[in-house]
Amino acid sequence: MIKAANRLGLVFFPAYDWAISPTHPEREERLLYTQDQLREEGIFDIKGITELKPDIATETDIMRSHFCFPDVSSVTTESHLISAGGALRAARAVMDGEVDRAFALVRPPGHHSMKCVHGNRGFCNINNEAIMIEYIREHYKTRRIAIVDTDCHHGDGTQDIFWHDPDVLFISLHQDGRTLYPGSGHLREMGGPNARGRTINIPLPPYTSEDGFIYTIDEMVLPILEDFKPEIIINSAGQDNHYTDPITNMNFTAHGYALLNEKLKPHIAVLEGGYSIQGALPYVNLGIVLAMAGLDYSHIKEPDYDTNYSPQDEEITDYIKQLKKPVLDNYFNPRPDMERAPEGEFTLRHKNIYYDTDGIQEDQREYIMTCKNCRGLLYIESSSSVNPPCVGIDIPVNGCARCTKEGYKLFDKAVKQGNFRTVQMTDRVNKKYERHSR
Amino acid sequence: MLLGIDVGGTHTDAVLIDEQKGIISKFKVKTYKNNLLDTVITALKEVTSGFDVKQITNVNLSTTLSTNAIVENRLEKTALFISSGPGINPSNFCIGKNTYIINGSIDHRGNEVAALDTDYISKALSECKNEGIKVFAAATKFSTRNNTHENEIAEAIGDRADYVTMGHELSSQLSFPRRAATAYYNSAVWRIYNSFIDAIIGGLKNIGITAPVNILKADGGTMPLAVSRKIPVESILSGPAASIMGIIALSSIKDDSVILDIGGTTTDIAIFAAGSPLIDKEGTSLDGIPTLVRSLQNRSIGIGGDSVIKIIDGEITVGPEREGPCMADGGNEPALVDALNYRGIIKYMDTARSSEGISALAKKSKLSPDDLAEKAVNFSIRKIRDEINRILDEINRKPVYTIHEMVHGHKIIPKKMYLIGGPARALSMVMSDGIEILVPENYDVANAIGAALARTTFETELFSDTGKGKMIIPNIGIEEQVSRKYSLEEAEADARRYTREFLEKSGYRIKDTDITIIESSSFRMINDYHASGNDLRVKCQVKPGVVMHLHK
Repeated sequence: MIKAANRLGLVFFPAYDWAISPTHPEREERLLYTQDQLREEGIFDIKGITELKPDIATETDIMRSHFCFPDVSSVTTESHLISAGGALRAARAVMDGEVDRAFALVRPPGHHSMKCVHGNRGFCNINNEAIMIEYIREHYKTRRIAIVDTDCHHGDGTQDIFWHDPDVLFISLHQDGRTLYPGSGHLREMGGPNARGRTINIPLPPYTSEDGFIYTIDEMVLPILEDFKPEIIINSAGQDNHYTDPITNMNFTAHGYALLNEKLKPHIAVLEGGYSIQGALPYVNLGIVLAMAGLDYSHIKEPDYDTNYSPQDEEITDYIKQLKKPVLDNYFNPRPDMERAPEGEFTLRHKNIYYDTDGIQEDQREYIMTCKNCRGLLYIESSSSVNPPCVGIDIPVNGCARCTKEGYKLFDKAVKQGNFRTVQMTDRVNKKYERHSR
Repeated sequence: MLLGIDVGGTHTDAVLIDEQKGIISKFKVKTYKNNLLDTVITALKEVTSGFDVKQITNVNLSTTLSTNAIVENRLEKTALFISSGPGINPSNFCIGKNTYIINGSIDHRGNEVAALDTDYISKALSECKNEGIKVFAAATKFSTRNNTHENEIAEAIGDRADYVTMGHELSSQLSFPRRAATAYYNSAVWRIYNSFIDAIIGGLKNIGITAPVNILKADGGTMPLAVSRKIPVESILSGPAASIMGIIALSSIKDDSVILDIGGTTTDIAIFAAGSPLIDKEGTSLDGIPTLVRSLQNRSIGIGGDSVIKIIDGEITVGPEREGPCMADGGNEPALVDALNYRGIIKYMDTARSSEGISALAKKSKLSPDDLAEKAVNFSIRKIRDEINRILDEINRKPVYTIHEMVHGHKIIPKKMYLIGGPARALSMVMSDGIEILVPENYDVANAIGAALARTTFETELFSDTGKGKMIIPNIGIEEQVSRKYSLEEAEADARRYTREFLEKSGYRIKDTDITIIESSSFRMINDYHASGNDLRVKCQVKPGVVMHLHK
């Protein structure tokens, strides 16, 4: 009988009774064929591989990471709570030492969900990885965390949530935003004024193949991780870089994904996108499962690999090689933010966010405190085509006394002012999460 | 009259049940491991002696023959042909020295990706011929979606085989490793099983019994003798299931319940949900090898009447070892039964010997004999209770795949506990869990009762890709063209109809109402935003049950 080198927990939640709409690519049977493949391979009989039932995320779990407007229940369904709960279960299994690694094969995905949530964008409502990370930081001593997002689309939601957080390193590899949704993830996006160099974007050209991805991991991602020394590594394991994916233009393979995973050695992987549900997902997921369990994946090959996959052009190889220097510079020698406010004052950022799935337009004013004692108080005023102005206040993990006091002052003021639909307080210092609605 | 025999590892039990009067004869004998046939014939003769054997209308037999053959590795040299396609390295699934890995592959939709390497098959077959191999097994990946590769292998083997097992005929379920192992063991026990059955039939004839014979399976159901000849592997591990079916016959179980079968060496634990025994969906494991053989969920722990009492680091422990029988029964080491004797909970055989043993062991510790006996009993009860809680936790934490089940899933909370086996009555007096404890009458032959009264069981799964216009029910050999409009309702009706036809044709006794649909799903398949047909899956089964109840 096969025995896994690493004990692996699999949270498999395919949500067979939920979809955005009848023909939407993020639909009921997205993981059906993956389940067929995993069962036929006998994955769940391998010694050391355990299937885990997801938790159901609570409102508190979500408020820890998001400002949901007008409230959590208006922007989530049970499917989102279970999908996020799947990530939480994976985290618990690893953090409690039940397993060495865990893979949450859950849907719907989450990495396009930002700090403020007015609805669904990019098939995502709430951010599974972010909810998981804040859960870990609240319940365990872990502080330094790295997320490597290998979905083909830029993980703009995760980037937004950790934009001001120097303890969470966010690295996204994706198809260049000039050629694909959501259009962001450029080199110049490298973290907020208090967390420069802790957001790293690696926009890869269309048709990047196995060589290009593995080069990026070896020459850019791994050196950065080695320096950052995270306590845990999380992989946002989107699978839409596959050469058969219907909504992207990359040229990656199941074997490549397995190799990437083996090099990255994530403690926890969470499924994101991937819409080639027959031709790619069964093989990519199998590859990731075997790689995470430390088992031989060399026999995995897509049925059409020999006819439809081709290695990348030299031009692409050259282009990716030229990315190495600016990417490493962004981490090792980040340019300081010229607009950063002086100590004790707020830096303002204006944002316009479009929710493609729900057709919502959001307008945001985001204020971050420059603070020498903590990562800074966050204050956001947000309104959208579906909500009148709302406010979110976030006192960060290990926030200082001044930021905490200032946070409550702003909360009281916003509530008293009376013209905000919702005012949410996220107090990570005292673990208090409250919402005032009008 | 119904006759039931359970040939177990230590004992063989037989009962004769009259449809009106209930149990009219029972017989227990030690199993002669080296001569199961003699044991069976003796049991048959003894239990029917004084009765008119012509009145027997049905014989059900539960036998440990195939289990023993596999566990003790008394297997015929068998060639296993596997073809796996992409995935886990197929060399992991070799069994024995004659596994042949053939190039060729079928994907999860049942499409042929690569044809079988027929040259290699011929080469392998001439090697098998040289080695005198006469039984074969063929298992290919996703053969339950498309069985052509297994069929091609079987055809190539042709008449040089006395028997070929094809994986898709064993079960419709996915799991290539289990399929390969189950097919292999099926062929490896095929001959020994069939000659045993021939001898049994001869024996029955001599006694004058002409009633149809059925064989017990691990899922608590029976299969006709003729069917069992082709799938002897299905007869493994039927003993624990026979006991569970016996309890069903002896008690009226309606709630979530725990069943404890306390034997000499082990206690078997089974859980009932709303009065029905839980089935291990994937299949049971034999000697650590996962198979596709469906079984009732049942867990064994090393606590029984003869489990030896020990002092480890000053702590009193019981089991999991058994050092011969308890002292009351002539053993040399004090066991759980001796502690029960000492405490006066039971009076079993030589109670003075029990006291002697408990007192001697107490001297080695700083405990009084009374304390020691109490601690030993409490330890055993705690061990059993912990295991029950662990099992319940596993069942209640079992993954589900829909939001509906996540939110509205049923949680099993046992309300009653049924105890059978030798020390059952004794332990029922000391197990105070705030849970109702019941000890059914005649529990000492519950296994044979279960064997006698078990009904037929069966399971099959229909799979259809309406885009391709194809419908298959692998394990009963159905493959049909269907229209693009083929609906889930039609699929359910077909699953029922074909299953019923197959069962009738194969000699099962079954009423129409017995076939229930247990899973049914339809997924719209989309290719590039266009509907490309439906993926339909219908699973139906004939549930385990008994033909009559013996309780009032």
